[in-house]
Amino acid sequence: MNKLVKLFTIFISAITLTLASISSSFAKVEGEYIVLGSAISLTGKYSSNGVHTQNGYNMAVDRINKMGGVKVGGKSYKFEIIYYDDESNPKRAAQLAERLIKQDGVHYMLGPYSSGLTKAIAPVTEKYKIPMVEANGASRSLFTKGYKYLFAVLSPANQYLEVAIDLAVEKNGGKPVKIAQAFEQDAFSQDVRLGILDAAKRTGSKIIIDDKLPKELNDMAATLAKVKAVKPDVLVVSGHTKGALTAIRQISEMKVDVPMLAMTHCDAAKLSKQHGKKSEYALCASQWHKNLSYKDKFFGSGKKYDKDFKKEFGYAPPYQSAESSAALLVFKDAFERANSFDRDKVRDALKTTEMQTFYGNIKFGPGGQNVAKPMILFQVRCKGDVCENKVVAPTKWASDKFYHPIPKWSERS
Amino acid sequence: MTAIKQKDLILYSGLIILGLAAPYLFSAFKVQLTYLCVLIILAMTWNLQGGEMGYNSFGNILFYGLGMYLTASVQVGMFFPLAEWTESGGEKTFVHTTAQYFQGIGVGLLVAAIVPTIVAGAIGYAILGLRGHYFAICTLGLGIAAGEIAGGIEIIGAGQGFTTPPFPAEIVDPEARGQFFYFLSFLVLVLAFVFVKYIYGSRFRLILNAIRDNEDKAEAMGIQTMKYKIVGWMCSAFFCGLAGGIMGGLIGYIDSTDVAFDGREMGVFMVLMAILGGKGTLWGPVIGATLFHFFKEGLWTFILGWQYVALGVLIVVIVVYFPEGLMGWLREKYPERFGEVIDEKDRKAQVEIK
Repeated sequence: MNKLVKLFTIFISAITLTLASISSSFAKVEGEYIVLGSAISLTGKYSSNGVHTQNGYNMAVDRINKMGGVKVGGKSYKFEIIYYDDESNPKRAAQLAERLIKQDGVHYMLGPYSSGLTKAIAPVTEKYKIPMVEANGASRSLFTKGYKYLFAVLSPANQYLEVAIDLAVEKNGGKPVKIAQAFEQDAFSQDVRLGILDAAKRTGSKIIIDDKLPKELNDMAATLAKVKAVKPDVLVVSGHTKGALTAIRQISEMKVDVPMLAMTHCDAAKLSKQHGKKSEYALCASQWHKNLSYKDKFFGSGKKYDKDFKKEFGYAPPYQSAESSAALLVFKDAFERANSFDRDKVRDALKTTEMQTFYGNIKFGPGGQNVAKPMILFQVRCKGDVCENKVVAPTKWASDKFYHPIPKWSERS
Repeated sequence: MTAIKQKDLILYSGLIILGLAAPYLFSAFKVQLTYLCVLIILAMTWNLQGGEMGYNSFGNILFYGLGMYLTASVQVGMFFPLAEWTESGGEKTFVHTTAQYFQGIGVGLLVAAIVPTIVAGAIGYAILGLRGHYFAICTLGLGIAAGEIAGGIEIIGAGQGFTTPPFPAEIVDPEARGQFFYFLSFLVLVLAFVFVKYIYGSRFRLILNAIRDNEDKAEAMGIQTMKYKIVGWMCSAFFCGLAGGIMGGLIGYIDSTDVAFDGREMGVFMVLMAILGGKGTLWGPVIGATLFHFFKEGLWTFILGWQYVALGVLIVVIVVYFPEGLMGWLREKYPERFGEVIDEKDRKAQVEIK
């Protein structure tokens, strides 16, 4: 027993030593670097969108650093980001936020991917009074909590597909429509659902199917079978990237005819590439599209961003990447206006942000959400075998007319 | 059990002092230390089934998640309408006063300990008749089912999750929250350890072992195995519920499948930790959980994106080289230090037979 006790003592002292040696934390501003922290989903169910987010962040960091960095107090600083993998798990995300702040000494945070994870991280950043600019947490409830250090460059989730219902009613001659909807059981998609419920109430439309889909969405055949039977005017599906892929795959397999199909995450899922013609006519909500006419001096226009991003990462940027890049532009702007690294000064500067980026105008409302930028809708349209996302609403940027109703599968080649 | 040996006394008081001093010594690591306490509780109580009783339960996560939801619900429901708190993803904001917060979490934890215990009794009565793989699979289903069901119940936030009450704003010190949860989890850990140690010195453990080694024979000896199996599971549920309640408050956001009924992570981890340390021993799960937590926190961030591959390798290494866990391995190497007397003649005889 004696030796066992010794073994324990050694074990415990080893732990103590390791911990003590790690706890010498970094500073928020190291030399010429401003250190930002972010927990990102590199594995797990949000991994593809997590990578889009990370690419967006990295792209902006490179660009800003190359173009002179951030000027504070007459000195030029560069951005640097510490990443951790949150495994698409809110529990892990909250823990990592704590770790970034307490152990890595990060004083400014960038948001994670998805509303659920942002919901888990926001209380932590709030507690330590760490300004967080996030680009991928759209849930409306994030902005009613009275958070003072949370700023989102995107429009809230309930606005994603509201417009689609208005569009459907308009195409129906102003009469109410029958809506079938299926949403993944997660914070974001359920918020999109709230938006549809509001829109349905406003227009007097009836919701005839209201399904909840599991996370790790790989099958929604049951919902589609119902859709086939009751023939709604519009089918709404939201479930991140997997939801979009699953919906198109099964709708085409089961040959479900529905006059209008509204979805989210079409561009993140690269629908037009992955499913080609099968995805044609899908109507998608998006925070951003390359054809919008916004400009800034770092990325130029949306089209230039699209080109540069493709060159760098080999695929067209989904809006998740664009908004993530915009988050860094916001941070840079705030640092320069605050002309200080004091967290509260930076926070106050963030609050009064009013700027245009290639991604859109940014101005934060009292809850921290971006109130200066509308959502857009695009539709997947094909020419021959090449499919593209064409903006159809709002009319200011619409490059194509909204095609309605979707032709029946029997009539599609 | 009457007289604790002097050496043990030194060990235990040392550990308690370390435990009490830890949040001050490693101020930046409070949250990780709280996780560690919770992981140890989970591993230690899982060991009662998996190690001592020989029933590999993947269902303990059920009690953990239940405890989490219950604590948060009670904490909110005692002072505000719960349905409004969670409506539309928790848009309305109610603020707990300091007294309300602590009262709420206190009562919540009490409920979180009692209800899962009762549930364990009821479910145990129904399914503890199953043995071996059948029991394992059945309990695996329990956790998954609970997650899916919780994801559909509106009053606890359904798919949008449940934001637990924020720590009272009147307490300005940002360290207070971490300290509160650490000491809470440490207290539960000490209670759980004392309880498990008590079981280790009791007849109850022998009965559990008898069930593991040969259930039919145990029954033939006149032991009401069903009764003991249920009681054993209820003991685990009690502490799992408490652990869940603490974690819910600490994380601040409850998601049905990813945080509460997180069978894929916590549910598997508790088994893994117990096996890593050595199941069927008092210290095994404690060491296993500690090592695992260090491995996870230390290594995972350096291998961004590959951590589950590393975990897979770890599992293979454990299974191949330490099938009995670290404690089992030590025991085999140095049996005399575990108070085992080796009959050399008998050992040689056995070797010859082989």
